[in-house]
Amino acid sequence: MRLLALTACVAVLSVACRVEAPERTQAEERARSTGYRGIFLPDADARPDFVLTDMNGETFDFRRETEGKLALLFFGYTYCPDVCPVHMASIAAVKRDLSVDEQRGMRVVFVTADPRRDTPERLVSWLGNFDPDFVGLRGTEAEVDSIMLGLALPAAIRDTAAGPDYAVGHASQVIAFPPGDGFRVIYPFGTRQADWKHDLPRLLDP
Amino acid sequence: MWLLVALLVALFWLLGRASDDSAGAADASHDRKARWAWFGGVLALWVALDWPVGALSGYLASAHMLQYLLTALVAPPLLLLGVPGGAWRRLASRPVAVRILRFVTHPLIAIAIFQLILFYTHLPSVVDRLMVTQLGSLAIDTLWLGGGMLFWWPVVAPVPDRPRFGYPLKMGYLFLSTVLNTMPYAFLTFGELPFYGIYELAPPVGILGAREDQQVAGLLMKVGGGVVLWTAITIQFFLWFNREGEAEGPVPTA
Repeated sequence: MRLLALTACVAVLSVACRVEAPERTQAEERARSTGYRGIFLPDADARPDFVLTDMNGETFDFRRETEGKLALLFFGYTYCPDVCPVHMASIAAVKRDLSVDEQRGMRVVFVTADPRRDTPERLVSWLGNFDPDFVGLRGTEAEVDSIMLGLALPAAIRDTAAGPDYAVGHASQVIAFPPGDGFRVIYPFGTRQADWKHDLPRLLDP
Repeated sequence: MWLLVALLVALFWLLGRASDDSAGAADASHDRKARWAWFGGVLALWVALDWPVGALSGYLASAHMLQYLLTALVAPPLLLLGVPGGAWRRLASRPVAVRILRFVTHPLIAIAIFQLILFYTHLPSVVDRLMVTQLGSLAIDTLWLGGGMLFWWPVVAPVPDRPRFGYPLKMGYLFLSTVLNTMPYAFLTFGELPFYGIYELAPPVGILGAREDQQVAGLLMKVGGGVVLWTAITIQFFLWFNREGEAEGPVPTA
């Protein structure tokens, strides 16, 4: 009886230790083949060239302002209940662990897909919750959609007919442009802090 | 949730009916206290599983941990203390049940199984798989409640009789649990990164980030679990102290 109980315990323990989440193994498998846990896109075009207005009302030339740096570009909106705050919080948490030089070598750019509600003040306040160095950009809906389409992302869907608390459908991936361009890495929703911690140093110094 | 509460109330009623009718005054006093203990156990489960703790346990590791504390450490001893005296006597009169219980609730086996459940149900891969479905979440709650019953049984339940497992050993048993709790606590509190995908990627609730939430969960396990276990150790100590005092008899006066 005791032997049976012991065997059952060992069996349960070994099963427990072998259970792995499939998305973890996918990310780790990618890292084994490309070096990055994100989705590696080789031979990609240079980072996009667009100009929008930042949350302080200044003109922000994306290509010029992020030149020679790692740029993490994301399209979202501040009323987003899930994807946007999770991505921003994850990047901010891992960025805080980097050295000062590494932090200076990267720029996180959040382009609002909902310029009607995301006022400059709201962008300052919302992004400031994560990291005051994050840059928030605004443009017209048409401008933002055009940039997204240029990056092979779907244009945002703004369900304004649903009333003032409308939801915005938008691409959920963060796009990483390494300092020298030449490739991109895509981070879909589900990217964990462990993935950022693994990839950010490599993206900063590919 | 309400089904569980109804089941527990019905079970209490059935246990009361199952009690023999030879109950004396001592039994009546025990059963009055038992009723309150049972009520406390049901209340702990209700708080653990219903809104807001139950709902938040899918979003916050700290709420999940609070649920664990209530389900595995608070509710089981209260439910066991809530069993009427007559029901214990009826159980003691069934040799097969007693033989099985003697093995399963042996302190070493009980603590091993409970720690195994604690370990297993806090593994990131297990939490991430089970907590995303209602059935999985129910499985975790059931494991906690069952494991908690098993863990507390040698300390609280009078059947089977274990004369050698006296108060000092019970205190040692509980103390060992406070030590064993330290391992998951340390992992959660001092982990550099969030362990659980379900909580890391959940829509944010309140001001806690994923790492801070995990640290709060670890502290809850250590401090909350410590409070429960040390309270139990203190109670065992005073029970031991009182019994020794009764054994020695009244202090003679000049």
